[in-house]
Amino acid sequence: MKLESITLTNFRNYHQLSLSFSSSVNVFLGENAQGKTNLLEAIYVLAMAKSHRTPHDKELIKWDSDYGKIEGRLMKRNRSIPLELIISKKGKKAKVNHLEQSKLSHYVGMCNVVIFAPEDLNLVKGSPGLRRRFIDMEIGQIKPIYIHELSQYQKILQQRNALLKDLSTKRSSMTAMLDILTEQLIELAAQITIRRFQFIESLRGWAKKVHASISRGMEDLDIAYISSTPNVLENMELSKLKEEFVKGFQTVREREIQRGMTLIGPHRDDLQFEINHRDVQTYGSQGQQRTTALSLKLAEIELINQEIGEYPLLLLDDVLSELDDFRQTHLLETFKQKVQTFVTTTNVDGLDADVINQATSFIVRNGEVVSQTQD
Amino acid sequence: MQYPEPIAKLIDSFMKLPGIGPKTAVRLAFHVINMNEEDVLEFGRSLVNVKRKLIYCSVCQNISDRDPCYICDDSSRDRSVICVVQDPKDVMAIEKMRDYNGLYHVLHGSISPVDGIGPEDIKITELIQRLSDEGIKEIILATNPTIEGEATAMYISRLVKPIGIRVTRIAHGLPVGGDLEYADEVTLSKALEGRREL
Repeated sequence: MKLESITLTNFRNYHQLSLSFSSSVNVFLGENAQGKTNLLEAIYVLAMAKSHRTPHDKELIKWDSDYGKIEGRLMKRNRSIPLELIISKKGKKAKVNHLEQSKLSHYVGMCNVVIFAPEDLNLVKGSPGLRRRFIDMEIGQIKPIYIHELSQYQKILQQRNALLKDLSTKRSSMTAMLDILTEQLIELAAQITIRRFQFIESLRGWAKKVHASISRGMEDLDIAYISSTPNVLENMELSKLKEEFVKGFQTVREREIQRGMTLIGPHRDDLQFEINHRDVQTYGSQGQQRTTALSLKLAEIELINQEIGEYPLLLLDDVLSELDDFRQTHLLETFKQKVQTFVTTTNVDGLDADVINQATSFIVRNGEVVSQTQD
Repeated sequence: MQYPEPIAKLIDSFMKLPGIGPKTAVRLAFHVINMNEEDVLEFGRSLVNVKRKLIYCSVCQNISDRDPCYICDDSSRDRSVICVVQDPKDVMAIEKMRDYNGLYHVLHGSISPVDGIGPEDIKITELIQRLSDEGIKEIILATNPTIEGEATAMYISRLVKPIGIRVTRIAHGLPVGGDLEYADEVTLSKALEGRREL
C-alpha cells in the first residue's frame, strides 16, 4: 500500500498542511525542533489511530485548537481510499471513504505501518518489557483478537496478584479462589503463548534472511522465545501447553504466596537473539545490537506482506544516520521498489548520495514545509 | 450573585446523583420550582420511602418491600431451580423474559480481589445455606460474562458440585435476530468456541 497524500489541520505544530508523496522514498529534512517527527507521527496516527510517542491524544492537537484532523489518501490494491481521523478533546472519530466507522478497531488495520524510531534501537539491549511490547504490537496488527486476549490476561493477572498479596499478608485464606484464578489465567496464558510462538517462528525465517543480507552474509541471526514457565516449548499443542502451565504453577505456588505476586506466565517471558550462536545481548557489539533491532523491524515488513498481501509503509525516524553507508544503501535499495518509505534527518551529509538523489525531499522549517525538490 | 439557599441546596442534592453535572442540576432544580405542589410532595416521599421501606428478602437477598419477597413466596414457581445473578436489575431482566419459572438468588456483586471483595463479602454463604433446606436440583449461574463474573461462577460451582446438585452456566455468543456480519470479532470467536452439534 502507498500513501498518496496527507492533509493536516491543527495537528501538533501544523495549522494547515497538504503534501503529496512519492511512492518510493520521501525525506523530511530540517533542523531540530521544526516538526519533522510530527510529520511521521501524523502518518503513524492516521494508520494506528494512536501515537507511538504519547498515550495522551490531546497532545496531538495544536495547542490553541479544539480539534485536530488528519486526512490521507491510501492506495491499496489499486484502489484509492480516503481516510480521515478527527481528534477532539472528547475522543476520536475515524472515517473510511467518508463513512464514519462505529468502532476504531475496525479502522485500525486499513493502513499498516512499521516504524523504526531511536527508542527501537534499545530493543535488544533494553528491558524485556520492550521486547514483549514489540511482539504484542505486531501480533495485534495481524490478529485483532490477540489484543482482546491480552487485555483479559492482564485483568486476571491483576486479580490474581491482588489475591496473592492478601494471602501473603495472611489477610485472606482463599486458596480455592487462587485455584480458580490460576485456571482462568492458564487458559489465556496458553493461548497467548501459542500465538507468540507462531509469530516468532515466522519472524525468525524473515529476520535470518534480512540480517544475512545487511551483514553481507557474515552473520547468522537466530531468535528464540524464552518462556518463564519450565518446559513450555515451541511446537507444543495447546493441551500440552496447558498441562505444562498447570505443573509450573503447582511448583511455584508456595513461592508465589510468599512473594505475593504471579511469578510465571507470558508477562514474564522474553526474546533471545543469537548471532553466530552467541547471545547478542551479552556478547554483541553496540552495532550488532542495533542491526539486530533493524533486522527485526525489516522482517516485520516482510511478515506483514505475507499475512496481509501488501507491504506496509515504513517510517524511519532519525535512525538512518545510525547505520553505516552500506547498511543505509542496502536498506533503501531493498525497499525502494516495493515499500513506500518516509525518513526524517537533520542532515543529508551522513546519507548516501545515490539515495538522496532518487528521493523526494521536503524541507521542514518552523511548522511549514517550505520547499519541495523533485529530482 | 448566588442562588437563594433553598434552590442552591436542591442543586447540590441533584448533583449527588450519577450522570448529573452542574448544568443539568440547575435545569432540574428550576423545573421543580414550576411543578405543582402535589407532585413535589409525592417525589419527596418516594425518595424517603425507597430508603426506609425497601428491605432485602431474607431468602433470595433481592430488594423487596416484604419478606419473603413475592417470588420466594409464590407457590406456583418451580422451587427446584435457583438462578444466581449479580444484581437485582438482572432479576428484572430475566423476569421480563417470562419464560423462567424458578427461584433467584442475588449475590450483590462479584468476587474481585483487586477491589478487596472476597467470597465472604457477597451473598454466597446465604446461597449455600439455602441448598441444605430446600429440595434444590439445579443451580443456574447467570453472572456477567466478565472475568470477575466468570471467576465467581467457577467459585460457586466448586462449592455446589460436591453437594451433588446440578450446576449450569448460561451460554454466551451471538445475539438472536442479528446478522453475523455485525458481530464483533471477540463475540464471534466465543460463539465459534461454544458451537454445538445439530
